[in-house]
Amino acid sequence: MKENISRLMDGEVDDAEVQRCVVELRTGEAMETWMCYHVIGDSLRGAHGVSVHALSAQFSARFRTALAAEPTVLAPPRERIRTSQPATFAWAVAATVAAVTVVGWTAFSVVDVPLTTNAKAREAASVRAAQVKPQVDVASEYLLAHQEFSPAMAIQGGAPYFRAATATAVEPQPKP
Amino acid sequence: MHAWWPPSAFRGMSAVAVFATAAFASPLASAQGYAAQWLMRITQAARTLNYSGTVLVRQGSRFDTFRLAHMFENDQESEKLLSLDGPAREIVRSATEVRYYFPDAKVVRIEPRTIRNVFPSLSPEQTANLAQYYEFKLTAGGRVAGRMTDVATFEPRDGMRYAHRFWADATTGLLLRSRLVNEKGEIIEEFAFTDVTYNAKLDKEMVRPSWTSVPSDWRVTQAGPGDFKSDETGWTVNKVPPGFLKISEGFRKLGGKREPAAHLVFSDGLVAISVFVEPYTVTQTQIGLTQTGGLAQYSTRSDAYRVTVIGEAPPATVQQIAQSVSRNKP
Repeated sequence: MKENISRLMDGEVDDAEVQRCVVELRTGEAMETWMCYHVIGDSLRGAHGVSVHALSAQFSARFRTALAAEPTVLAPPRERIRTSQPATFAWAVAATVAAVTVVGWTAFSVVDVPLTTNAKAREAASVRAAQVKPQVDVASEYLLAHQEFSPAMAIQGGAPYFRAATATAVEPQPKP
Repeated sequence: MHAWWPPSAFRGMSAVAVFATAAFASPLASAQGYAAQWLMRITQAARTLNYSGTVLVRQGSRFDTFRLAHMFENDQESEKLLSLDGPAREIVRSATEVRYYFPDAKVVRIEPRTIRNVFPSLSPEQTANLAQYYEFKLTAGGRVAGRMTDVATFEPRDGMRYAHRFWADATTGLLLRSRLVNEKGEIIEEFAFTDVTYNAKLDKEMVRPSWTSVPSDWRVTQAGPGDFKSDETGWTVNKVPPGFLKISEGFRKLGGKREPAAHLVFSDGLVAISVFVEPYTVTQTQIGLTQTGGLAQYSTRSDAYRVTVIGEAPPATVQQIAQSVSRNKP
């Protein structure tokens, strides 16, 4: 059903299916999903007037419960994300359970942090990428070669080694 | 109210030295004297004291805690930094090598220690640069990890570097908290002891690796002392930010790569920036900017070469350097 709603929002269903979806939407649960996906989409697109603060506590609670009930899928179908039009990007994302998890996490864990919606979308995208390609990264060759030259190593004793200890796989930002 | 220097800051310095410093005619000259001497004092403390404690590190919005133990015996340093959050990564530094244990990746990295705390020997030019590019202030600070501190602030005079704030133990001189602040006044990186213990004699076990032998399914990567050769590389940085001097140049073999990379290091006395130039290969995908706490890295392609610049400086500074790397004119 959720898959159908997502496809309906993406305009990927034929007339007969639209009819079936509309019937489905009469059930409370389907309507909730419909609304939920719209909030996510508005939030990702940075639509005016939509912010995580605007989400009601009730909605948050329901979303969390629904999220907890979702099975874990680690690899969202990348193909579909790539072929989606920019305008429907949010729906492709929402259609994958993993991405919904990411969005949920983004929306509910950073309520107090003044991140821009765009930053959130970027974050969601990078977390999704990390899920697609799980990897354990060690400190980069560059960091290891560089850090011994840093005056911080003398000033702070061995503390600056924390950089090597906290090294993780980081996706570089594209050139501005 | 900023006292020029609290009496505790120079405890242990000879009266003659204080008198000599105070005798400098211009305020700038005395400022550069104070800044360099103050740094020398905390550097010496970090090297020669025996201590252990819990360290909290903040990089952007990320927090991690570590256990740090440092021992100084027979004029030799040994040290262990153990991650208390997530995988139990640890870094053990001895007189001759640094070992990195990554249990999550099942990797041990062994690097020879080629440079040993070069800092105390700042050249006169670097000392002058410190005063020219940073405004140095020393004030009495509050308590950190239960100890009274002095606070030293290095405020940059241009936008090419971060502001540094150091809290040092007023009695021992050990750095207990350190902060990097960007031009917007945001703290981008901070480390602080939450507790510290000074030991006359530290148990040797505290600075030994937790692994007596490397598990058989781990990968050991070991760099040899010959992996760095000091030499003219034929590469030059045309737009070195003011105040940065070249402190090292040579060829370095980076793990897993056939061709050695040219490695140039620049420093303004407080931070260093490394420049790597290597043949470009298609398998290297990480082109662009990454920033982790106070560390920025920028990789770009320049014809048949890949230029990577990494350092404790604002992204714009690192980018400027990367984009101005070129071959020396013959």
